[in-house]
Amino acid sequence: MGQAQSAVAAAAAINDQARTQPSSSFASMDSIIAVCNIIIFCLFTEAAAYGSDENLSLDAQAQKALDCPCVAELRNGACGTQFTEAFLCFLKSTAEEKGSDCVHPFVALQTCIKGNPDAFPKNIIEDKEVKKEEPIQEYKIYPPIWFKESRKPKPKPKL
Amino acid sequence: FSVSGLFLPQQQQIPQQPVQTHYPSPNRLVAIGDLHGDLEKSKQAFRLAGLIDGSDRWCGGSTTVVQIGDVLDRGGEELKILYFLEKLKREAVKSGGQLITLNGNHEIMNIEGDFRYVTKKALEEFDVWAYWYDIGNKMKSLCHGLEIPKNPFHGIPPSFHRVPEEFSHSIRARIAALRPDGPISRRFLANNLTVLVVGDSVFVHGGLLEKHVDYGLQRINDEVRDWINGSMGQRAPEYCRGRNAVVWLRKFSDEFAKNCDCSLLEHVLATIPGAKRMIMGHTIQEIGINGACDNRAIRIDVGMSKGCINGLPEVLEIDRNSGLRVLTSNPMYQNKNQYAQTKEGLGLLIPERGPKQVEVKA
Repeated sequence: MGQAQSAVAAAAAINDQARTQPSSSFASMDSIIAVCNIIIFCLFTEAAAYGSDENLSLDAQAQKALDCPCVAELRNGACGTQFTEAFLCFLKSTAEEKGSDCVHPFVALQTCIKGNPDAFPKNIIEDKEVKKEEPIQEYKIYPPIWFKESRKPKPKPKL
Repeated sequence: FSVSGLFLPQQQQIPQQPVQTHYPSPNRLVAIGDLHGDLEKSKQAFRLAGLIDGSDRWCGGSTTVVQIGDVLDRGGEELKILYFLEKLKREAVKSGGQLITLNGNHEIMNIEGDFRYVTKKALEEFDVWAYWYDIGNKMKSLCHGLEIPKNPFHGIPPSFHRVPEEFSHSIRARIAALRPDGPISRRFLANNLTVLVVGDSVFVHGGLLEKHVDYGLQRINDEVRDWINGSMGQRAPEYCRGRNAVVWLRKFSDEFAKNCDCSLLEHVLATIPGAKRMIMGHTIQEIGINGACDNRAIRIDVGMSKGCINGLPEVLEIDRNSGLRVLTSNPMYQNKNQYAQTKEGLGLLIPERGPKQVEVKA
C-alpha cells in the first residue's frame, strides 16, 4: 500500500478510535485539528526512505529515519519530543491503516503546539522572502449580511 | 490534514479524478439535498438511507449517492462536512459504491468571494483552519528537502471596506481557503461536478435550460473545475451566475408545482439522451421531497440545516426493483422499517398548502 493510500485508509480508523477516546482532547479541537500528523509524515518520504532497509527490524528502521537530517530541526525545539514520539509511532505502526493507532502521540503533539506558539518557527530563509513586497490584488468580496447589524450604532441614552 | 479525527492525505498525492459527467444506472441510487453546514443533520440523512452505520462508516455497499450541493453557508461545520464527505467517498469506493458531490450556488458564491450567507461560527471554523494550516506549513518548511509550501494568503489585502477590523483575519482566512486555487477549493470543491447524469436521472443544483445542454454538460463540468483550480480568474463562468444559472434556476423547483414550467422541462429533458427526470435542490420544500411536472422534476432540498428551516431529513431513493421512493424521518409515515419511513407513491404527493394526502403502502 502506498504511503498516500495508507494515510487515506487511516481516515476512518482514526475517526473510529477517536470516538472511543475521552472526549476532552478532540472536544477541545472541535474545529479543525492539526495539519501535522499523518499528512506531514506522508510527506517525510525522505526520512522514511532514509530509514528503509529490509535487513533492519521495523524498530531499527524507524530509529534510522529519525536520524535523517531532513527532520533534524523538527526534533529540536519546544515540541521536539512530542514530534519524535508521534513520528516514531507512525513509522512503527503496523495497523491496517498505518498510523491509526497513534491518536495519543498525535494529540500530545497538537497540545504541545497549542501551548508553544513558537514551537516550529518559520524557516529564517523563508522569512526573508516573505518580507519582499507582496503585490496586493484587486479583490472584491461581499461580506456577511450580519456584519451590517453588528456595526449599527447603539442608540444614545436620553438625558 | 486532521479534522475531528479524520486523517486524509494531501491533495498532491491524490491527483484529481478526471471529470465524469455520465454514469450508468446503478442498482440503488440515493440523492441527498442541501446540507448547509449542519454536520449532524447531514449524518442523519446518510443514516436514514442506510449509508452509514453507528460509527459513521460507509455501509451502503455498492449504492451510488449524489449530494446536490450547498454544503457551504448558513452553518458552522462546513469543513467538517467536506472532510466527512471525502472520507465517505473513499470508503464507498472500497465497497464498490460511490458518492458524487455537486456544486451548489453557495459553493460558487464562496469561491467568488461572495460571503453574504456565511455565519459567525463558520468564520471561526476557518480561523482555526488557517491557524493549523500555517503551523503545518511552518513544519514543512523546516523539513529539508520538502518543497516550500506556498503562502495561501498571497495577494489578499490586509483589510476590506465594510469588514470590521475584528473580522478581517477570518475573512482573509476564508478567502485564502476558498478562492480559486485556494487549498480547500482545490482539495474538495474542484472534485465536485456541476451537472451529472446517472442512468435516466439528471442531477443539477438549480436547473438546466436548453442553452446549457447545447453548451455541453461535459464542457460545463470541465470549465467549472478549471475555474476552481484557478485558471480562469475570480469570476465564475457565465452559466453559473445570475438567476438563469445552472446553480440558481428555480423554474422547476418552485414549491407551488403549478408555477413550474413543465413544457420547458420536457424540452430540456428531450435534449439529453435517455433522461427521464431532473433532480434538483436549491429551493426549500417545506412539505419535504416531492415531484412536479408528472415527477419529471424531483425537488430534494428539505432545508434540513438548522440554518435553514431545520427540516426533517429526507432522501430520494431510486432502486432498480422498487422504483422511486422518498425515505423520510417524518414519523407521520408509519412503516415496518423502523429506521426510515417510506413515502411510497411519489406521484401522489401534491405540493399544496395544507395537509397532504399520501398513500403509504404497507
